[in-house]
Amino acid sequence: MHFQGIYEDEIVGKAYDRRLLWRFAGYLRPYLHLVGTVLCILPLTTAAKLAQPWLIKQAIDNHIVTGDLAGLPAIALYFLLLILAESLLSFLEVWLLQYLGQRVMQDIRLELFSHVQRLSASFFDRTPTGSLVTRLTSDVEVLGEMFAAGIITVVGDVLLLAGIVGVMLWMNLHLSLVTFAVLPVLFWITFTFRRRMRGAFRQVRARLATLNTFLSESIGGMAIVQLFTRQREEMAEFTRLNGSYRDANMPVITWDAALYAAVETLSSVAVGLLVWYGSGEILAGTLTFGALVAFIQYIEKFFAPIRDLSAKYSVMQGAMAALERLFNLLDCNEVLAEGVPAPSPRPSPTGGEGEVSAYSGADDKKFPPPLTGGGKGEGERDIPFIRFTDVWFAYNGDDYVLKGFSLELRRGEKVALVGETGGGKTTVTRLLSRLYDVQRGGIELDGTDLRQIPLAGLRRRIGIVLQDPYLFTGTVEDNICLGDEGVRPRGRQAAALVGADRFIERLEKGYGEEVRERGNNFSVGERQLISFARAVAFDPEILVLDEATASVDTESERLIQEGLRGLMAGRTTLVVAHRLSTIRDADRIVVIHRGEKVEEGGHEELIAREGVYFRLYQLQFRG
Amino acid sequence: MESIQSPAKAPHSPSWYGGAIIVAALLHGAIRVFSRTTLLHNARRIEYRIRQDLYARLLALDLSYFNRERTGDLLSRFSNDLTNVRMLVGFGALNIINTAIVYLSALFLMARISPLLTLLAVIPFPMMIFVVKRISAAMFRRSKRAQEELARLTSAVEENVSAAAVVKAYCREEASIEAFAAVSRRYMASNMRMAQLRGLMIPVMAATGALGTLIVLVIGGQKVVAGLLTLGDFVAFNGYLAMLIWPTIILGWILNLMQRGAASMSRLNEVLLAEPGVTEPADPVTPARIAGMIELRRLSFSYGETPLLREISLVIPPGSRLGIVGPIGAGKSTLVRLIPRLFPVADATLFIDGTDINRLPLRTLRDAIGFVPQESFLFSRTVGENIAFGKGGADSGEIGAAARLASLDGDVARFPDGFGTMVGERGITLSGGQKQRTAIARALVKDPPILILDDPLSAVDAGTEEEILASLSGFYGSRTVIIVSHRLSALRGCDTIVYLEGGRIVEQGSNEELLARGGRYAALHREQQLRREMEEI
Repeated sequence: MHFQGIYEDEIVGKAYDRRLLWRFAGYLRPYLHLVGTVLCILPLTTAAKLAQPWLIKQAIDNHIVTGDLAGLPAIALYFLLLILAESLLSFLEVWLLQYLGQRVMQDIRLELFSHVQRLSASFFDRTPTGSLVTRLTSDVEVLGEMFAAGIITVVGDVLLLAGIVGVMLWMNLHLSLVTFAVLPVLFWITFTFRRRMRGAFRQVRARLATLNTFLSESIGGMAIVQLFTRQREEMAEFTRLNGSYRDANMPVITWDAALYAAVETLSSVAVGLLVWYGSGEILAGTLTFGALVAFIQYIEKFFAPIRDLSAKYSVMQGAMAALERLFNLLDCNEVLAEGVPAPSPRPSPTGGEGEVSAYSGADDKKFPPPLTGGGKGEGERDIPFIRFTDVWFAYNGDDYVLKGFSLELRRGEKVALVGETGGGKTTVTRLLSRLYDVQRGGIELDGTDLRQIPLAGLRRRIGIVLQDPYLFTGTVEDNICLGDEGVRPRGRQAAALVGADRFIERLEKGYGEEVRERGNNFSVGERQLISFARAVAFDPEILVLDEATASVDTESERLIQEGLRGLMAGRTTLVVAHRLSTIRDADRIVVIHRGEKVEEGGHEELIAREGVYFRLYQLQFRG
Repeated sequence: MESIQSPAKAPHSPSWYGGAIIVAALLHGAIRVFSRTTLLHNARRIEYRIRQDLYARLLALDLSYFNRERTGDLLSRFSNDLTNVRMLVGFGALNIINTAIVYLSALFLMARISPLLTLLAVIPFPMMIFVVKRISAAMFRRSKRAQEELARLTSAVEENVSAAAVVKAYCREEASIEAFAAVSRRYMASNMRMAQLRGLMIPVMAATGALGTLIVLVIGGQKVVAGLLTLGDFVAFNGYLAMLIWPTIILGWILNLMQRGAASMSRLNEVLLAEPGVTEPADPVTPARIAGMIELRRLSFSYGETPLLREISLVIPPGSRLGIVGPIGAGKSTLVRLIPRLFPVADATLFIDGTDINRLPLRTLRDAIGFVPQESFLFSRTVGENIAFGKGGADSGEIGAAARLASLDGDVARFPDGFGTMVGERGITLSGGQKQRTAIARALVKDPPILILDDPLSAVDAGTEEEILASLSGFYGSRTVIIVSHRLSALRGCDTIVYLEGGRIVEQGSNEELLARGGRYAALHREQQLRREMEEI
C-alpha cells in the first residue's frame, strides 16, 4: 500500500546560513556575559596550547642538543603548569558552553511551545502531531549538539589556527610557506563538500519527520491496526519510510567521510613536506632540530581543529536545517488576531432587560462563589447576549459549511440547535468560542464583534463541552480544574452537580486517581462526565454543549439533565441537541440544514408548521 | 632524522622519507574513507534494523501495553535513544578501532626505540583509565536520567498538541506553558549534570597526553645528553607520543558515547523484550470457516488489581444477535474487546465455534470479526483508504457498497474528492457522526461472520441511527452480531440482551422476558419509554 506520499514533508526554502545564524545569535543576547567569559577563556587556552611546542623547542635546542641539563627542570615545571592551566580552562569552557547551550535550548523550546499555543485551530487541523513533536524535541536537541560541538569553540579554533600560523611564520618563514602550500586545497575541498552536504541534510531531516509522523499515528491507532490484522501492511509502509530515511543518510556519511579523510591526508602531506624541505634547511644550518620538532607538533595541533571542523560542519549543517524548520514554525502566523476591546459596546435592542455590560477583560477571573443556584448570587453579573449575522465559513477553500447563517441568543436564553449530522452544528459552537474566524459576516457578544474581544477573556466566559472528551494525564481533579487554582475549590461541587461524583468516589483514590494518557483508563462515558464537570467548574456565563450526552447511560444522563437545568439558569446556553428532553427545556429551537437556518421557534410551533423540524422530529426523536 | 644528522649512514635521502610520508598519507586517506564509510553506513543499517524490530514488537504487543505506556515516551525511544545507540555502534566503534590501532602501532614503534622510556611515557594512562571509569559510571546513571526527562518532555508536547482544542477552549495556554516550562527545566537540569562530567572528561584526557610528553622530555633528554639515545630517536619518540594525544582525547568522548549508548540501549530493550500478553497459539487450530458461535465460560478479566469482568458465562449461537446494556464502567467495552483478543484472555474461557480462541491463529480470529470501536480512530489517509483498511485490496465497488451500508455515501458525495478526500490532520475534518460511519464501513467491508458494534452510533442523531440500523439489519443475515449501546432503541431485533453491572451479568434474556421480569432492564426501558412519552405530549 502506498499512501500517496502524504507523510512526506516537502523540502522548502533555500540555504540562507548567514540569515539563520544571525537570527539565532539573537537568542544569545540574554547570555552575553557567558559568551564574554568564554571568549575571554578562549585566547588563554590558545596561548597555553601554543606555548607547549615552543617550550619543547627550547628544551631541545638549548639544553638537549647542547648537553646543558641545568635548565631542563625549570622548563619541565613551566610545561606542567601549562598543562594544568589548559585543563582547568578547557573544563570551564566546556561547562560554560553546555550551560549556555542548555539555556538557549530552553528559551527556544519555551518560545516554540508558547507560539504553538497561540496558533489557531486550523493550524492543528493541518499539522500532524508527530511533526510538531519532532520540532520541539529532536530539532531543538540538534541545536544543543551545536553548542556541545561548539559553535563558539569555532572562534577558539580560528584563534588557535591564526596563532599557529603566526608562530610558525615567526619561527621560520620558508618552512611555513612550504607547509601552508596545502591550505588552498584544504579550503577548496571543505567548501565544495560543505555545499553538497547541505541539501542532503535537509532531506534527512524531512524524512525523519515523516517517519515520526507515521509512527505516532500508528501507535495511536494500534488497536485498529491489530483488529483489522493490518500489521503486515503497516510494517511494509514503515519499512519503506524507515528505509528511505536510512538511504537519505548514506550520501551524507560518504561526503562526511571523504571530507574527514581529505583533511587527514592533507595533514600528513604537510608533515611530509615539512620533513622533505626541513631536512635540507637543517643541513644548510638555517633550521634547528628543536624548531623542526616544534613545527611537527604545531602541524599536528593545526590540523586537529580542522579535522574537528569537518565534524563540526556536520553538526552545524544539521543545526542549520533544524533552525530553518524551527524558524519556519515560529514564523507561521496562523494566529487569530488578538481582539482589542472596543471602547463602548453599542447596546442592542434585542438585548432586552438589564444594562449592557462593558467588557471587563481580566477581571473575569472572579466567579461568583456558589455554584448551586446558577449565577444569580449576590455577584449579579450580566448575562450576555450573542448574535450571528450572515455568517459564512469554510474549513477549506470554497467548501462552505455555513452559508449566511444568522442566529440570536438573547440574555439567559437556551437555544437548541438541531439538524442532520454534518449540517454545521458543531461548526457554530466552534465559531462562537472563536477557534476559527468567520470568513464573512460577524458574531457579536453583547454587541461587540468577537474579533474585538481579547481571546482569553472571550473563552473564559464560555464553557464548552466538546464532542470528543479529552482527558490529560494527571489526576481526576486536575482534569476538572485544569490546573486553575481558582477553580479547584469548586471542582468537587461541579462533579456532584453533573453526577460524576458517584463513579469518582468509587475509584480507589477518588479525585486523586491517576488519569493515563488520553484518559484511556476511563470509559468514554466517564470521560464525558469528567469533561462535563470541567465545564461546570469554570462557571461560565455562556454554556455550549455539543452532543455532550452521547455516550452516557440513561441514569447518568438523567443526572446531568437535572444538574444542567439548574445550571443553565442565569446563563446563555447553546446546545447542539440530539435529545428531545434537552430540546424541550430550550426556549427556542433553531433548525440548521446544510449550513443555513431553515426554521426557528418553539417545539409545538415547529411541529405545527410540519416543515424540516417536523420531519427531523419524526425521524430523530421518536426512535 | 638520522639521515639529516649523518647523511652518509642512512639508506635513503631525507627527501625520500618526505616522499614516503606523502605516499603513505594518500594510502591512509583512501583506507580512511573506506573504513569510515563502511562503519558509519553499517551503523545506519543497524539503526534501521533496530527500528524495524522495535516497530515489529509494538505491532505484536497487546492493548494493555499501550494503555500503560505513553505515546511520547515510545516516540522518544524511537528517536533519541536510537540515535544514541547508533552513535555508539558508528562513531564509537570507528574510533575504538582507530584508537586501538594507533595505540598498538605507536606503542610498538616506541618500544623498539626504548622500552624503558615507553613504560615511563604511558604511566599516566592507567591513572587516567581509573579516573575515567569512575566518571563514566556516574555518567551512565545521569544519562539514563536525562533520557527519561526527555521522554517526559516529548510526552508533554504530544499531549498538549493533541489536546489543542481543549486547551484553547478553557484558556489553559498559560497554565500549559507553565507546566511545560517545569518539565523543560527539569530536563535542562539533568543535562547540566551530564555536562559537568563531560567537561571533566576532556581535560583529563588531554592532560594525560601532555604529561607523557613531559616525562619523555625530561627523561629522554637526559638520555640523549648521556648518549644513550640518538637525537633522531628522541624526535621520533616524541612524534609517536604526539600521535597518541588525539586518540586519547577522543577516548573520553567515546566513553561518553558508550555510557549514553548503553543507557539508551537498556531503554530500547525494555520495548524489545516486552512480552506481548497476546501471542500466536503454539498448537493452532485452523477451522475451514468460522460460523460465529461464541461461548464464554466463567470469563474473568482484571486490569492490574481492578477486576473488570467476573466469571461471565454466556453462549451466543451463530447468526444470533446479542445486545449488551449496563451503566458506565460495567465492563461492556472490555467484554467485547476480549473477543478479538485485544487483551489477553485466560485459557478455556472464551470459545468460538467450540475452539478456545487462544488456539485460533490471531489472523483467522481477527479476520472473522468486524469491530466498530467506541472511539472511531481514523488514519490520515483518504476516506477510501480508511474504509479499505478493513480489507487489503478492496476494490472501489466494495468500498462503495460498505459506505452505502453505513449511510456514508451521501456525505462522501459532498466531499471535494469523494473517496479520495484526505481525512484528519492533512485533510478535511469529519464530524463525529461521519467518523463513526466511516468506522462502520471499515468493519463491514471485511464481510465478517461476526460483527461487534461497541456503542457505534453515539455521535449520530436518532434519525441517522435509524437509517443505519435499518440498512445494517439487511447486512446482518447469518452473521453473529453483538451490539453495545445505551439506547435501547439500538437493540431492537436482538435475540438476547444482557444487562451488565460491576463486571457481572445481572440480567439476561429476550427483550420480552426481561421486561416481564421487571428488573433493571425493565426499569431502564420504562425510563426511556417514559421520556419518549413525555416528549410525545
